[in-house]
Amino acid sequence: MDTLVAQYSRPMFEKENNYDEDQMDLYNPAPSMSLKFAMPPIAQPSAWLRAATDDHANPDCPIKIAHGTTTLAFRFQGGIIVATDSRATAGNWIASQTVKKVIEINSCLLGTMAGGAADCQYWLAYLGMQCRLYELRHHRRISVAAASKILANLVYSYKGRGLSMGTMCAGVTPSEGPALYYIDSDGTRLAGNMFCVGSGQTFAYGVLDAEYSYDLSEEEALALGSRSILAATHRDAYSGGFINLYHVKEDGWVKHGFNDTNPIFWKTKLEKGEFSNVTSEMV
Amino acid sequence: MAMFSQNPLMNGPNYSFSQTPSTAAAGNKEHSFYPYTDNGGSTLAISGNDFTIIAGDTRSTSGYNINTRYSPKVFKIGGTTSSQDDATLVLSVVGFAADGAALKERLDAIVKMYRYQHGKPMSVKACAQRLSTILYGKRFFPYYVTAILGGLDEEGKGAVYSYDPVGSYEREQCRAAGAAASLIMPFLDNQVNYKNQYIPGSGEGHALQEREKIPLPRNEVEDLVKDAFDSAVERHIEVGDGLQMLIITKSGIEEKYLPLKKD
Amino acid sequence: MEVLLGITGKDFTLIAASKAAMRGATVLKAADDKTRSLNKHTLMAFSGEAGDTIQFAEYIQANAQLYSMRNGIDLSPSAVANFVRGELASSLRSRKPYNVNLLLGGVDPITLKPSLYWLDYLASLAPLPYAAHGYAQYYCLSILDKHHHPDIDYEQGLKILRMCTDELKRRLPIDFKGMLVKVITKDGIKEVEYNDDARVACP
Repeated sequence: MDTLVAQYSRPMFEKENNYDEDQMDLYNPAPSMSLKFAMPPIAQPSAWLRAATDDHANPDCPIKIAHGTTTLAFRFQGGIIVATDSRATAGNWIASQTVKKVIEINSCLLGTMAGGAADCQYWLAYLGMQCRLYELRHHRRISVAAASKILANLVYSYKGRGLSMGTMCAGVTPSEGPALYYIDSDGTRLAGNMFCVGSGQTFAYGVLDAEYSYDLSEEEALALGSRSILAATHRDAYSGGFINLYHVKEDGWVKHGFNDTNPIFWKTKLEKGEFSNVTSEMV
Repeated sequence: MAMFSQNPLMNGPNYSFSQTPSTAAAGNKEHSFYPYTDNGGSTLAISGNDFTIIAGDTRSTSGYNINTRYSPKVFKIGGTTSSQDDATLVLSVVGFAADGAALKERLDAIVKMYRYQHGKPMSVKACAQRLSTILYGKRFFPYYVTAILGGLDEEGKGAVYSYDPVGSYEREQCRAAGAAASLIMPFLDNQVNYKNQYIPGSGEGHALQEREKIPLPRNEVEDLVKDAFDSAVERHIEVGDGLQMLIITKSGIEEKYLPLKKD
Repeated sequence: MEVLLGITGKDFTLIAASKAAMRGATVLKAADDKTRSLNKHTLMAFSGEAGDTIQFAEYIQANAQLYSMRNGIDLSPSAVANFVRGELASSLRSRKPYNVNLLLGGVDPITLKPSLYWLDYLASLAPLPYAAHGYAQYYCLSILDKHHHPDIDYEQGLKILRMCTDELKRRLPIDFKGMLVKVITKDGIKEVEYNDDARVACP
């Protein structure tokens, strides 16, 4: 027994300066992206992480993680429109009004960001890497179906560990045409024509569903995407800032501006007479 | 048998992290695993046309106690020597000081290795992306810090990158972080980005024209930083004692230390 | 509020699954297919925890297809059902079990006997003449108890299914966006044209 124990335990002083692999990683300048994550030294890391970071379950948690909010994408005759707001909140604090919630994975693929900002940023960058590797290995572009499945399988492997993301992958490939997928952190992956994701999703759906048709012209589609985000920023306190608009076409995506909601709101109100709930006087 | 020995030196401290409770029965104990504390303080970064200023107060607190009046929160990163004389990047960390120090050491080591292996200093853009992956590497056991990275970009323009604790990041004009972020950030929005400032007499209500944005000169930015911190000290107990300012220009990093109120 | 229904007859098995994919208070998709075909004459319908459902179904599908490729013969519906039960049982005892409920319908290619298996996430397996999962059980099982006979033909089967879906439309508080219906016969799996447009009023 003694020899057994001696074999498997080392005195503390030996442990003090052990440059294990983990430590050596520090000195390797290239990020490994090898999916190795530091874990707290306890039995149930996810419960601990929730207590430390999740502001829904625990409003006065010490670590406030930036959360993203209203995003939408829909397919129409001329391709796919992708639109988002730009507000990031950590609890009630507006952490930023200038977040880029449309993530350019490559020249033909876009991802959107709702939920944990870091989760989306990191894993969509990782997806971009995987898509590039696919191109190098197979000499053709990856399909949107395959790309979205890489992401879905990836987040599914982290299910229950506290990732929070609701994302859409929009892209065009010769084999599929314009394709749109919804992926979230509980592992759901759905193909579809229209999705709205985030705390403002219901408000965006309201406007989008009423006016949507597949035969929309490019201008109409862009206006509808923008107007739906405006609706969400107006009613959802967690959404706001700027409207980020993209159009995905056969030969890649085109950016259609990053515009302040405030002037757009007033223009919409004054020129179209909408938002009649907003008055210049107290009533 | 070392395992059952009563000698604490042989057993190591009883709270050792390497002796993990592995059963669910230890669940009650786990609730007390809380390796974080908030050391207060605030940091602030503003980028200009050809410079970046990163500043932080030097007070370190725990609860209502002041531990020290000189503990830096802004660090030069990636110089060739320990004196960091030839560094081109600056990192500020606020939140849990131990995590901040660990993060600084880690980033510094990586940026130094980059310099040795590539024979050139790391660009801010590359360092910003790398810092993001470092933070995200601890996604499930986060660094309790808000980091800001500053430097000059490839065109020589000032660059500021701000982070959340798990690595989401964004390049910005200016950013305040830490205890007094909610006091300083609105001031910066107004004075640096001229938010809600309009040209007088240019219209009524929403027809007003926004004040034109002009790049601020260095001396004005320095004054803004000083004013921001003086105001924060007046209204936040965790901010005070000293103001450390690092000014990054193409000729190097200049350090300034200004006293703040010490009550 | 996902709905899964299964009915066997004298030479067929009907599988019906609701078309709504819901997340929180939102219907994300109104034409979702909650079924996977495992081989030429075995179909599996699934409901349960988001993510788990598709991952598990596609895992089973891949294994059933692998078996067919390796052995040049398909697994019979009963063999598939017992295989799935085994997988669910070992999953249940793992660190992170799949939270999936299933209906498995098929026609045995050799005996030509139709079959229907009911499985839940606790790995209970029951061969049944008709079955349902979720709230549908409370409404539909009584209807099926009253109207089902083992030797009904396809038209009668569809008629009973219609009674069930009409009742669900009438009484379920949430719109499940109609049903996707598939039929398994000795000739294979076919989607059934199933009219969902008619509104059913609650008296």
